[in-house]
Amino acid sequence: MKPKALLSKVGLWSATAAASAALVIGIAPITAKALNIPTEVTEDGKNTYKKYCSACHGEEGKGDGPVARSMLPKPRDFTRGAYKFRTTPSGSLPTDEDIYRTISYGVPNSTMIPWDILTEQQRASVIPVLKSFSEAFEVRKPEAPVDVGLEVRPTEKTVAEGKKIYEEKLECWKCHGVEGRGDGPSAAEQEDDFGFPIKPFDFTTGKFKGGNSSRDVYLRFTTGLNGTPMPSFAKELTDEQRWCLTHYVISLIKPEETSK
Amino acid sequence: MKQLLFLCALFGFLSWNVISSENTLADNYTEVEVKDGGTVVGNVKYMGDLTTLSLNLYADFELPETSKSATEKLIVSTVNNGLKYAVVSITDITKGKKKAIPAIHPIIDQQRNTFIPNVTAIPAGTTIDILNGDEELHTVHTRTVKNQPFNLGTTYKQRISKTFEYPETIKLTCDLHKKSYAWVVVLDNPYFDITDRNGYFEICDIPPGTYKFQVWHEELGKLEKEVKINPKELSNIEFVYSQY
Repeated sequence: MKPKALLSKVGLWSATAAASAALVIGIAPITAKALNIPTEVTEDGKNTYKKYCSACHGEEGKGDGPVARSMLPKPRDFTRGAYKFRTTPSGSLPTDEDIYRTISYGVPNSTMIPWDILTEQQRASVIPVLKSFSEAFEVRKPEAPVDVGLEVRPTEKTVAEGKKIYEEKLECWKCHGVEGRGDGPSAAEQEDDFGFPIKPFDFTTGKFKGGNSSRDVYLRFTTGLNGTPMPSFAKELTDEQRWCLTHYVISLIKPEETSK
Repeated sequence: MKQLLFLCALFGFLSWNVISSENTLADNYTEVEVKDGGTVVGNVKYMGDLTTLSLNLYADFELPETSKSATEKLIVSTVNNGLKYAVVSITDITKGKKKAIPAIHPIIDQQRNTFIPNVTAIPAGTTIDILNGDEELHTVHTRTVKNQPFNLGTTYKQRISKTFEYPETIKLTCDLHKKSYAWVVVLDNPYFDITDRNGYFEICDIPPGTYKFQVWHEELGKLEKEVKINPKELSNIEFVYSQY
């Protein structure tokens, strides 16, 4: 090979490498990764937890803080390592980013507010404190997050398909009700892993606890909600069917209910 | 070539590391060859008042749809007061026979809104297949801390395989049918047995020595007994639960 040709080839390759490296860095999520979540419990984290979290979640993370008595849904008991809103498969522990997301955005329809009044560093410092309450984090590792593919485009057809799944295949109405108001025949007897009564979600309010985007709703069907009766349907439904169900469930939102 | 060798060596080292860490992660039970082991046979009895409880000796036979008592918490034989579904195990054994993990997965089936069988005892590391034999939706929900908990919806003829790695007593429930449940007792050694419908059990190849035997029943709780095992001898023990 002539030296000139070799040079151009090397040049081409290095240009490609540089471009792809730039692309990878560009694509990588910058939210929690860039945040530098500490791996060990820090003094700062302990103080933040004690000041802002322990009133509800308790000094030892058992969900038994002084004001927890009057609350329903109850504050999370961290000792079991059961976290509702995750991107990991059913039963798995959450990733640090999942916990960070819940702290930052809060849980609508509950007493958990979005803790955006704290600095990002404060929110991140609490995460190892929460993890230290449960022995599950010592024994197990969180599984890899679920791969959310490209969303199926919402059409009338997908909504109709989702309705079929809701009413016939999975019988979601048994708990969530035919109109999605959370008043199905089995709704009254549901309780969570800690023995407290739990109400199936009312879709008409439109305030989805794990987030309102269709990606968030899709994730709830795929990962389930640990610690609650809501199972994962990752094995029951195909990827497309879960998107259809997502579109149907979002179509149940009633604008007049959302303002309440 | 050198690079390839180095990579091979690195991979070998890493995989060895993983294997050794798994070994240390396992329990304090070591497998040895047992040549002159003793055997224990026995009976678990329930001597409480039988008339006050709605007992059904033929509880897990084919029953007509009208009969709802396919799962009873307390199944006592009317012949000899033997108690079914009690798990007998040795709690303080540190070495003994090989832990045989069943190659064919034990099955827990959901039929007519009931888990069958009601109690399953397995050595740690066993995979269980959970089936759905009903033409309606069921869920399988566990609340474990060490083993990975799960909560999965299952439809007709669905099969879920789950491996239980750590010794724990686990309750499986279905959130749609509140009455149905099953127990999976995961033990760290192979010395255990479940009583049959007349309350009999058998544990064999036990190295000679004195051991603590424990019996567990979901309703009646635990009983303990120390038994001395002599080489190549058959010992007989009896556990008796008094009034419930």
